[in-house]
Amino acid sequence: MLLLSIEEITKEYDGIIALDRISLKVEKGSIKGLIGPNGAGKSTLFHLISGVEKPDLGKIYFKGREITSMESHEISALGMGRTFQTLQIWGNMTVVENIMAGMNRRLKGGLFSCGLWLPWIRRSEKEALKEAKEILDSLGLLGKWESIASQLPYGKQKLLELGRALAMKPELLLLDEPASGLTLAEMRQLSEQISQIRQEGVTVFIVEHHMGMVMEIADKIAVLHHGELIAEGTPEAVRRNPQVIEAYLTRRNPN
Amino acid sequence: MVDSKKNEFRKRDVFYLAPLWLLSLIAPDPYLYHKKEFKKKDLFYLGAICLAPLIWFDPHFHHLMVLAGIYAILALGLSLFMGYAGQISLGHAAFFGIGAYTTAILTTRYALPTFVAFWASAVSAAVIAYFIGRPILKLKGYFLALATLGFGEIFLVIVRESTDLTGGVIGIFGIPWFSVMGFSFDTYLKQYYLTWGVLIGLFIFSKNLVRSKVGRALLAVAASEDAASSVGINVPRIKLEIFVLGAAFAGVAGSLFACVMSIANPEAFSLGLTVPIVMMVILGGMGNLYGPIAGAILLTWLMDVLSRYQEYSLPIYGVILILLLIFFPDGIGTRLNVRVIYLIGYWAKKKKRDEGKL
Amino acid sequence: MDFWTYLPQLFSSGITIGAIYALVALGFVTISRASQIINFAQGEFVMLGGVITFFFLKEVNLPYPLAALIAILIVALIGFVMHLSVVYPLRKASIVILLMATLGASIFLSSTSGLIFGTLPKALPPFSGEQPLQLWGVFVLPQSIWVLLSTFILLIFLYLLSHRTLLGKAMEASSTDPLGADLLGISRNLMVFLAFGVSAGVGAFAGILITPIFFTSYSSGTLLGLKGFIAAVLGGWGKNSGAILGGFVLGIVESLSLAFIPSGYKDAVAFIILLLILYFRPKGILGSPFIDSRRW
Repeated sequence: MLLLSIEEITKEYDGIIALDRISLKVEKGSIKGLIGPNGAGKSTLFHLISGVEKPDLGKIYFKGREITSMESHEISALGMGRTFQTLQIWGNMTVVENIMAGMNRRLKGGLFSCGLWLPWIRRSEKEALKEAKEILDSLGLLGKWESIASQLPYGKQKLLELGRALAMKPELLLLDEPASGLTLAEMRQLSEQISQIRQEGVTVFIVEHHMGMVMEIADKIAVLHHGELIAEGTPEAVRRNPQVIEAYLTRRNPN
Repeated sequence: MVDSKKNEFRKRDVFYLAPLWLLSLIAPDPYLYHKKEFKKKDLFYLGAICLAPLIWFDPHFHHLMVLAGIYAILALGLSLFMGYAGQISLGHAAFFGIGAYTTAILTTRYALPTFVAFWASAVSAAVIAYFIGRPILKLKGYFLALATLGFGEIFLVIVRESTDLTGGVIGIFGIPWFSVMGFSFDTYLKQYYLTWGVLIGLFIFSKNLVRSKVGRALLAVAASEDAASSVGINVPRIKLEIFVLGAAFAGVAGSLFACVMSIANPEAFSLGLTVPIVMMVILGGMGNLYGPIAGAILLTWLMDVLSRYQEYSLPIYGVILILLLIFFPDGIGTRLNVRVIYLIGYWAKKKKRDEGKL
Repeated sequence: MDFWTYLPQLFSSGITIGAIYALVALGFVTISRASQIINFAQGEFVMLGGVITFFFLKEVNLPYPLAALIAILIVALIGFVMHLSVVYPLRKASIVILLMATLGASIFLSSTSGLIFGTLPKALPPFSGEQPLQLWGVFVLPQSIWVLLSTFILLIFLYLLSHRTLLGKAMEASSTDPLGADLLGISRNLMVFLAFGVSAGVGAFAGILITPIFFTSYSSGTLLGLKGFIAAVLGGWGKNSGAILGGFVLGIVESLSLAFIPSGYKDAVAFIILLLILYFRPKGILGSPFIDSRRW
């Protein structure tokens, strides 16, 4: 079953074509990888899917609904979580609050019921705290649950960002270069996390700059180069694809 | 006789240092502010608020504290918008004015009871904030500041010019004391308990907000809007909600102000008010709810002390504002107390740590 | 008399006040190009220019040009001092803090001026003749012509300063690429310092031009400053050409609005224009290099 389907997406910045008629499909329950050299348009594609920016042409469907022109919070409310290439952790909150804020969509209560601290708010806050601690436990961050998020080391912040996206119970998780800046050990932990997430029934769409980790965990891989989709298929097929090898070996395509 | 006494140094001026001491107790510390639950020290503050006017039984002190309480309500609402949601508003003085004029007009022209006018003030400020906020809250930074400032100036022009309704530059006189079911708040002491009672109610409301999902959503918006919408937080909506709530607070404060001063005139709601209320929020420390209250006491006290120097008061005021901003950009309590608190905490826990209990 | 007979008259006074707005707006832009700071005390420089010239002309009995020159130099000096005492210590602070600090400076400058020079409104004598000239059926004050002429000359001077001198190029460099300028040894702080002096001087110049037409008192700077800022936003924030265009547009629209609304509401017009432009086109008429349309 298709979870996400991108049809003929085009995006242009001041005359430079960042994405040229890209079509992609993500199957439910799979791990899909998107790779490509620097400036290939991977992050732009993610911004378009999550609604931070709007495409010039083309359509995006999520769970069978068109989300092309939706606001990004509406798209996330449908069940799409994401992390960012440049770490976007909320440094003004504690670790556990970061996770709890990630649950925001699932918690009940508006301005007045929260301000009056009505009984059901008290209950849901308590449950949220408990659940947030469970998520932190699974990520190995429970020891730091009360420290300010910006004071965590970089690798832990990356994990926290992943935890925050998980806290909203997404059906599709977009990971934008989750491994960048991580040590080898942290990367291994991350791969395990991602496999774990997949076993819980979450579909993962992962963008990576370098191949190693994605080759290991992804079912299908797509390769972007200069805004064009040059290959798509299983990791082995992509690895052997001559165009991909060329894209990664030559510095710049003369065309 | 009163005048000759006024310029002398009075012993009780020493007691005006109390706000500083209070501030040092409150100590807004950005690295501690995740501890958002109610604490024992809140009871201590409550006791201090109840007893203070009885200990210093002085009408002037009572009156100052009434004003401080009103400004604190105003600053509390602004603090939610500025300190938590990370936006800028220079237009809250206008919502204060809307509240005051609503009360003034309803009580003097239509002879409605003040209690009704009080609620009408909150609602009218909130409704206007809703229609103003919808278009301008998409702006950020300087442009948001400028747009809200522009709104404030438009409000002032309208108030000055629609003489029939608002009395023009002279304003509206003879607003009755606040009264509930026949009980009239006609002394400074009664007004003190009225304003601080309202303040405490709104404070508890705000504090509940801050420790719930709304507070987390606000902080998330302040830190990164992209990340906030990536977890499904409706950023424009939460900004608007908190802007409207802040305006309702300002409307409440304005209504109380009109009842206490029994006059509403445009000068009270100009840029001359915007500057101190924003300062209250900054000096108290952004992202802290005790801060605006402490800041309100401090600045009301400062303005009262300065008013004795007549024509020199404004230049001195300007210089003090700049100095405070240069030396305490994160709020007064932070710089004064971060180290002290840290040391105290360190020593208090040292024994336990040595025993291996921590 | 109907609207059409008023129109040319309103138009000519709109151009005059528009020139002043343009100069104030230019002061804002000069500072914001050197650093992302908005100086809310800009209007006070204008007020001080008029008031100090008045002081030297009437109290010290200096000749007019000398009094004006001294006033411009003093105000430029105040601009330098303001940078050193307010802006430089806060160069790393958040924009709310900077905004409040410049507002504090504005309070200090206006009230101190009231203290030293008195609170009464002041009017300088016109540069030449008080008899209105009749040009194409429109009565024009000679001072209006002086205003336009001087504004034009000052604009040329500023253009040459920013495009033909090394200093101007250094300023430009430090605003477009602060890091690159740092690496080339251009001190950003020095550029901001100079920008404050220049913008204070330009402000004072505007004040001297306007005081013969409108009364200037210690408290009139704030509103003038705000309107200058609005003009800068209207034309396109961060562009010199935008500031000039915005100033004239604002002046003319404000002046023409007098034909339709009571004069008391005049001050609201500028702010309504501001809200409209911020809502519909935040980057202004000519577009702004600082404001990305996708983000606003």
